[in-house]
Amino acid sequence: MRTEVLLYAYGMICASMIIFNIIYSMIVNGREPRLERRYKRIMKRIEQQLDGIRDGERVEEKHLRYLERKLSHVSTLLAFDRVMTDLIRTESDAAVRGYLQQIQPVILHLALVYRKRESVQAAYFAYFLAKHKLKKRMQMDGLQQVMVEYMRMDSLYCRVNALDALYTFGSPENIVEAILLQDKKGAFFHEKILTEGLMTFEGDHDQLILLLWEQFEKFSLRTQLAVLNYIRFRTGNDKKRMFGIMTDEKRNKELRFAAIRYMGRYVYAPAKEPLIAFVLDKDPLRWEYAAISATALGRYQGKEVTDALMEAMHSFNWYVRYNAASSLQEQGLNYTDLIDIVGGRDRYAREMLMYLMDSKRFERGREAAEG
Amino acid sequence: MRDIIQIFFIFVGVFFVLYLIGYSTFLFLSVTIGSSELYGLKRMNLLKNELSNRYYIPVSVIVPAHNEEVTIESTVRSLLDLDYRLYEIIVVDDGSTDQTAEVMQDAFHMKQIGRPIQKRVRCQPEEAVYETREYKVPITLVCKKNGGKADSLNMGINVSKYPYFLCMDADSVLQKDSLEKIVRPVLEDDNVVAVGGAVRPCNGAEIKNGRVVRYRMPNRLLACMQVLEYDRSFLAARIMLDKFNGSIIISGAFGLFKKSVVVDAGGYDTTTMGEDMELVVKLHIYCRESAVPYRIRYATDAICWTQVPENLRDLCRQRRRWHIGLFQSMMSHRRILINPKYGLVSFVSYLYFLIYELLSPYIEVFGVLTVLLAFWVDFINVPFMILFFGIYVAFSSILSLAAFFARIHTIDLKLSVPDMLKAVGLCVIEVSCLRFILAWVRMVSLLGYRRVKHNWGTIERKKININ
Repeated sequence: MRTEVLLYAYGMICASMIIFNIIYSMIVNGREPRLERRYKRIMKRIEQQLDGIRDGERVEEKHLRYLERKLSHVSTLLAFDRVMTDLIRTESDAAVRGYLQQIQPVILHLALVYRKRESVQAAYFAYFLAKHKLKKRMQMDGLQQVMVEYMRMDSLYCRVNALDALYTFGSPENIVEAILLQDKKGAFFHEKILTEGLMTFEGDHDQLILLLWEQFEKFSLRTQLAVLNYIRFRTGNDKKRMFGIMTDEKRNKELRFAAIRYMGRYVYAPAKEPLIAFVLDKDPLRWEYAAISATALGRYQGKEVTDALMEAMHSFNWYVRYNAASSLQEQGLNYTDLIDIVGGRDRYAREMLMYLMDSKRFERGREAAEG
Repeated sequence: MRDIIQIFFIFVGVFFVLYLIGYSTFLFLSVTIGSSELYGLKRMNLLKNELSNRYYIPVSVIVPAHNEEVTIESTVRSLLDLDYRLYEIIVVDDGSTDQTAEVMQDAFHMKQIGRPIQKRVRCQPEEAVYETREYKVPITLVCKKNGGKADSLNMGINVSKYPYFLCMDADSVLQKDSLEKIVRPVLEDDNVVAVGGAVRPCNGAEIKNGRVVRYRMPNRLLACMQVLEYDRSFLAARIMLDKFNGSIIISGAFGLFKKSVVVDAGGYDTTTMGEDMELVVKLHIYCRESAVPYRIRYATDAICWTQVPENLRDLCRQRRRWHIGLFQSMMSHRRILINPKYGLVSFVSYLYFLIYELLSPYIEVFGVLTVLLAFWVDFINVPFMILFFGIYVAFSSILSLAAFFARIHTIDLKLSVPDMLKAVGLCVIEVSCLRFILAWVRMVSLLGYRRVKHNWGTIERKKININ
C-alpha cells in the first residue's frame, strides 16, 4: 500500500510539472506583448518629459521617483533597456541629451538597489550600463565606485558585466581597483576574459598600462598573465620591462613565456642572444622555452639566428622543430638556403621543413587566387 | 510446490518494488532538476548572465568518418558556418570503401601534403594527408587504415594543433552557436577537462545557416519516439549527474575535451565500442588517481543535431552497439564500483548505469517473464497488475513530456498543436512498447559481441535538411 501511495505522490508531483509547463508556456508566449506594453508606457511618459525639456523645463521630480520605483523591477528594466536603445538613436536631439543627463540620480539609485539583489539581476544591471555606455552621457563617479563594488559578487557573469561597464567608463584607476578586488576575492577569472576585456577599454590605454605595471606585483599569477598578454596586443613600448621578466629565472614560467612572445612580436636587440640560448637549450624539461623562442626568433635577423633555427630543426621535440621550420620560412629562406636540411639525413627535420614549405605554397596560392 | 512459488513471487515482488522505487526516484529527480536547470538557464540568458562571444579558446573539431560520402560535405559546410573564429576542422577518413575522401577533396579543393604527424596516442598509420586553406578555417583530411571510430579520434588528436578538441559524428550538424556555448564552461572554470553537449534528433528539423528555422516532430513514428526518449534519458539525467561532477558519459556525437589530459590518460581505447563512455570514465579515474583537480561538465545549451534511425532494424543495431559499448566500458573500469576513492561517481553514477542501464534489460525481461509465470499459475491479481502498469505508463509518460516540453520551451522551438498531441500519444507507446522491444534487443546484444567489436555500425544515411 505504501508503494502505491509513493507512486501516486510521484504522479501528482509530475502532473504538477505538466501544469507548470503549460503555465510557463503561457507566460513565455505573453512575455513579448507584456514587454511591449511596458515599453510603450515608459516611452509615453518620457516623451512628455522631453516635451517639457524642449519648453525649457527640467525633468519632473515625480517622473524621477516613478523611474526609481518601476526600474527597481528587473522586468521593467528590460523594457527600459529597449527605451534607452531608441533614445540613444535620437541622441542628436538636445532634449534627449538633457533627459539622459537629468536621470543620472535614478541610475545611481538603481545601482545601489541592484547591488543588493540576487546576482542574476545585478549582472543584468551591469550589462545595462555597459550596453548603453552611460558614462559618455552622464558624469557620475559615484556610479563607478558602486560598479567596482559589484566585483565582490560571487557570480562570474556579474563580475564580467561590471568590468565591461567599467571599461566603457574609461577610468584606469577604477579598472585597476576592480581587478585588485577581483584578485582579492580569489574566484576564478579566465585570463582570456580579462585580456579581451582590457582591449575594449574606452579610456587612455597608456595610462591604464602604467597603472597596471605599478600594481603588477600585487596581482595574482593569472591576472599578471592576462595583463602581459594585453600589453603585448596593445603596445611595443614595454620591451625593457618584458625583457626583465623574460630573463628573470625566479619568475613563473608562464609569465616568462608571455614575455618571450612579446619579444617575438616586437623585436628588441638585447633579447636576441637569450632567445637563441633558449632555442639551443637541449634540456628536455625546458622544451617549452625552446619552442616558444623558436617562434619568437622568426622576426630576428642574422646568421646566428638562422644557425640556431637550423640547429633547432634537429630537436627531439616536435614543437621545437615545427616552430623552427615556421620561423625559417618567415625569414624568407629559400630551398637552396635550406639544402642542408632538405637534403640531409634527419628525416624528421626534412619532413617538417618540406611540410612548412608546402603549406607556405598553399598560402601563396590562396593569396594569389584572392588577388 | 505452490508455497515455494509463492515465496519466490514474494521475493521477486520485494525486489521489483525496491527496483522501481529506485528507478522512479532517479527519473523523477533527474527530470525535476533538469527542467528547473533549463528554466533557470533561460532566465539567465534573458538577463544576459552569459559570457559574450568575443572570448575564443582555440578548438580542433575532429570528424571521424567511415563511408560517409552522403553526409560528409554538408557536415563540413555546416562546420564552416559556425559562429566562432578560432578553430580548425579535421576529417579522419577511416579506410572508407566509398567516395568519402574523394568527395572531401573535390568539394573543398584539398591538396595532398606531406604532413608529419606527432603520434601522442596510438592509432593506425596515415595513408595520405590533404589540406586546404581556402576557407575561413583550415581543413585537414587524413586518410588512414581502418581501425574504428576510437582509432580515428586518436588520429584526430595527433593531427590537431589546438589545446582543446571537439569530437563529433560525420552525420551530425552543430548549431551555429554550439562551439561558443560548449567552450563557455572552460572559460568559467579552469579545471574543466571535458564538456558534453546536448544531442537532439534532427529528423523533422529544417536547419538553415546553422540555425533551426522550422521544427516539426519527425514523420516517422519511431524517430518521434526517440525525440522523447532523448529528452528524458539523455538530457534530464545528464543535468542531474553534472550537479555533482558525476557525468560518466559524453556522447561521441558532441563533446569537447582538454587534449593534454586526454593524451596523458592514454587517449581513446580502440578495443571498445563505447569509446565515448570509456574515455570519460577513464578521465575520472586518471584525474582522481593523479590528484588533478577536474570538472566534467554538461552544456545544456550547446546543441548538436543528429540523425536518429528511422527504421527498427537500424535502431536495434544502434542500441545493440551502445549496449555492448556500455558493457565493455563498465567491465574495463569495474574497480570503481562502490569504491570510496571515486566518491559519488562510484556510488551514484556508476551504480545507476550498472543497475538501470546495463542490467535493466535483463531485469525488465525477467519481470515480464515472472508476470507470465504468475499468470500461468494463477497467482496474479489482474486488476492490480493493470493498475500498476497503468501507473507506470502514466508516470513515465508524464516525465517524458515534462522533459520534452522543458526542452522545447527553453530553446525557443515552436511546436504546432498536432505535433504536441503527437508527442503526448507517442510517449505512451514509447514507454509501454518500444522500451520493452529495446530491452529485449539490449538483452541479447552481448551474445557474440566479440565478433563485431570494431564495427562502425552502419545505419541508413540521409542528407540532413540543411539549406
